[in-house]
Amino acid sequence: MSQAWRLLLMLALLPVATAFAGVSAGKETQGQQEVRIGILTFAERSDTLNTWQATADYLARQTGHRIRIEPLTPSELDKQVEAKAVDFIISNQFVAVGYKKEWGASQLLTLIPADGRDPARAMGSALVVRAGVSVTRWQQLAELNIVSTDPRAFGGFLIFAGEMVRRGLDPVTDLPGLTFEGFPQTKLLQKLWRQEADMAILPACVLEQAIARGEYPEGAFDIALARTTPGFACGVSSELYPYTALSKLGHTKSALATEVAGALLTMDANTAAAISGGYRGWSVPVNDNRVFALKHTLREWPFQTNWQRVASAAMPWFGAILLCLLLGYLHHLRIKRLVVKRTRALETEIEQHRETQRAFNEQQRQFYRAQRVLLTGEMASGISHELKQPLAGIRYLAQGCLYRLKDHEPELKSALCGVLTQVDRAQETIGRLRSFCQQPSRSVPYRVDTLIEETLALISPELKRLKLEPSLALAEVEARLDPGLMTQVLVNVLLNALDAMAGQPTPWLGISLETTDSGYLIRVSDNGCGLTEAQLSRLFFPFESAKADGLGLGMVICKRIVEEHGGKISAHNRFDYTSIDGQIGGQIDASIDSSPCGLEISIEMPRGAAND
Amino acid sequence: MIDVYLVDDDPDVLASLKWMLEGLGIRAQGFASAQDFLAAVDFSRPAVAVLDVQMPDMDGMSLLEVLFSRPSPIVPLMLTGHGNISMAVKAIQQGAMDFIEKPVDGDKLLALLRRAATLATERAISLQQSAEIQQRLDSLSPRETDVMHRVLEGKLNKTIAAELFITQRTVEIHRRNLLEKMAASNVAELAFVLSKLRLPR
Repeated sequence: MSQAWRLLLMLALLPVATAFAGVSAGKETQGQQEVRIGILTFAERSDTLNTWQATADYLARQTGHRIRIEPLTPSELDKQVEAKAVDFIISNQFVAVGYKKEWGASQLLTLIPADGRDPARAMGSALVVRAGVSVTRWQQLAELNIVSTDPRAFGGFLIFAGEMVRRGLDPVTDLPGLTFEGFPQTKLLQKLWRQEADMAILPACVLEQAIARGEYPEGAFDIALARTTPGFACGVSSELYPYTALSKLGHTKSALATEVAGALLTMDANTAAAISGGYRGWSVPVNDNRVFALKHTLREWPFQTNWQRVASAAMPWFGAILLCLLLGYLHHLRIKRLVVKRTRALETEIEQHRETQRAFNEQQRQFYRAQRVLLTGEMASGISHELKQPLAGIRYLAQGCLYRLKDHEPELKSALCGVLTQVDRAQETIGRLRSFCQQPSRSVPYRVDTLIEETLALISPELKRLKLEPSLALAEVEARLDPGLMTQVLVNVLLNALDAMAGQPTPWLGISLETTDSGYLIRVSDNGCGLTEAQLSRLFFPFESAKADGLGLGMVICKRIVEEHGGKISAHNRFDYTSIDGQIGGQIDASIDSSPCGLEISIEMPRGAAND
Repeated sequence: MIDVYLVDDDPDVLASLKWMLEGLGIRAQGFASAQDFLAAVDFSRPAVAVLDVQMPDMDGMSLLEVLFSRPSPIVPLMLTGHGNISMAVKAIQQGAMDFIEKPVDGDKLLALLRRAATLATERAISLQQSAEIQQRLDSLSPRETDVMHRVLEGKLNKTIAAELFITQRTVEIHRRNLLEKMAASNVAELAFVLSKLRLPR
C-alpha cells in the first residue's frame, strides 16, 4: 500500500473514527483510563523503556487511554501481577504460560521478530563454541566451562535446560562448569572470544546479529550440537518456540483487551513504533502448546520452581498453621503450667500428708514404746508380787522354825538364818528390778478434753475398722497430769471396750468428762459383753485376763497410774434397757435384767497431782 | 498380849505368818478377806490388826477407812508387797501405826506388835475414859451444864448468878453438884477431865 493511498484512507476514515471514538467515549463509563503494561526485562530498565516507549505512545494515540509501561524483573513482575498492578504483560512465552493457570492470563498477540522469522518458531537456544571445538554428545557438556546469562532467560537457558532434561540430564548438577554471567548477552561472546569459557548458551540469532554488526569475524564461532531447522536462518541447538507474547491478565476487562489488541494489530513493519521497538508488528496468538510441554518438562526439575510464588501462595496456610501451632504451643504451655502447679500442690499435699503420717507414726511409736516400758515394769512388779508372796511365806516359816528351836541346835539355827538371808537377797533383787522398771511420772498442766481427743486420734485406725463414731460429752477441764501415762490409761480402757464389742453388730462407745468437787471424772462406757462378777472383782489384778490372749496387765497399769495421780479407777457393768425408740434408759435394778449390756469404767481424778 | 488379827488374801502367807507369830508366843486370828474381818471382829475391843494392802474387792486402804468410820481402839499395821510413799503417807494419815514392806522380819514385827498393843490399850483406856466422862456429862441437868460452861470460862459466881437470874447461893449448889458428878475436886481438874474428851487418833 502506497503512502498516498493510506493518507486518503485515513482522511476518509477520520470522521468514522472520531464518531467511533465519540460512541466509545459515550459507552465508556470511565472515559479515559490508565492502562498499565508490565514488560519483562533482564537487562537495563532504560533500554527496555527506550525500546517500548514508542509502542506505548502509539497505543495511547490509538485508544485514547493513558498508557504506562513498566520494565520489571521476573520477581518484580510476579509481585505486580499478584497485586493486580498491571493489566497487560509483554513477556517471553514461558512466563506468559506461567501466569495462565495462576492469574488467568491469556495470550492476546504474538510479536513478530524484526528479521521476519515465523513468530511460532522464533525462539531457540544456541550452544556457541569457538570454531574448531567439537562437541558431539550432550554428555560432553559436563567437562566444559559453560557461561549463560540468567537461569530464567527463556531463549538461552530455559530452552537449553528443557533439552537437557529430555535427555535425562540435570542442567545444574550435571554441569559443574556452568556459571551465570548476567546481561548483556554479548558479554558471553566476549568471554568465549577471550577463551575464558568453552561454551556460551545464547538465544538463537544473537551470534548471527553480532557477526552482522561486525563485532566478530565470520567463522570465528560455531554452533555445537546444531539442528537442521528448515526456514530458520540462524544456527540453533534446540527445538524452536514461539516469540514474545502480549497477555492480558484475568482481572483485565475484555473490552479494554479488545481495544488494545485491535490498536496493536494495526501496526506493521513500517510503523515507527515497531521500528524503534525492533519488531515487525503483532500477529494473532500462535500455538503455545510446546511451551506448555517445556514448562511441564521443567516442572519436574526443581530448579525452576517458583519458590517465591509457592511461598506467597502458601503464606496464609503457613500463617494459619503457624498460628495453630502457636496456639497449640500456648495451650501446651498453659497445660504444662497447670500440671506443674497441680503437681506442686500435690507434692506439698503429699508432703504434708507424709508429715502428718510421720508425726502420727512417731506418736504411735512413742505410745507403744511407753506401753512396752510400762508393761515391762508391770510384768516385773506383777512377778515380784507373785514371788514376794511365797518368799514371804518361806521367810515366815523359817523364822517360825527359828523361834521354835532350842538353843542347843546351833547348826540348824545358822542354816535357818542362811535361809532368811537368801530370802532377803531374793527380795532385794526383786525390789531392784521393780524400781528399775518403774517410770517416774512428771505432771504438767494439761487439758484433759484435749488429751481424750488425742487418744481417740491415736486409736482412730481401730475405730475406723469397727466403723465406730464415739459419742463424746466433754467438758473443758484443765488439770495437772502426766500426759504420756494418762494416754496409756485411756488407750488401755478404750481398747478393752473395743475388744468387748468385737461381736456387737451396732457398737456404741460413750466417753464423758465432767468436773467434780475434788477434780474431774472420766467415764468410758461400751455396749459390749460386760464382765462376770468374778472377773470384775479381779479386774485390777495382774495376770488375770478375761481375754484369751490377754496378759492381764493393762488394767493393773491403769490402776497404778491413776493412783499415782491420786485418783481412783473403778468398773461396773451397765444394766441399761433400751426402749423402743432406741433411747438409752436410766439405770434400773440389776435383778430385773441380770445380763449386763456393757461395762463402764470411771476414773475419778483430783485436779492437781497428788505427788509431784 | 491383846488380840492380834491378820488379814491377807493369800492363805499360805496368812498361815505361815500365823505360825511364826505362834513361835513368838502370839496367838493371832487370820482372815482371808476384809469382809470376813469386818464381819467377825468386835471393834470396841483393843487389838492389833495386821492388814495386807493388796487384796481383791476391798483392799487394805479401804478397810482402814471402814475401820475408822467410828472410834475404835484397834491399831492397824499395814503390810505391803510394794508400797509407795504416797500410799504410806495416806495410810498413816488414816490412823495406821506403821506401813511395813512384806515380808516383815519376825523380831521387828514383834517389837511393832508390842508398841501397837500398848497403843491399843492406851486407846482403849482413853476411849473408855471419854465414854465415862461423856456419861457423866450426860447426867448433868441443863442448869448444871449452863453453870459448868460459865465456870470453865472463868466467870465469878456473882456474874454467873446475874446472867442466869439466880442467886449466888444456887450457883454454889450447882457448882458443888456438877463437880461431884464429874468426879473432879476443883475447876482445874474439871478442865483436865474434859480435855480427855477429844477422841484419840
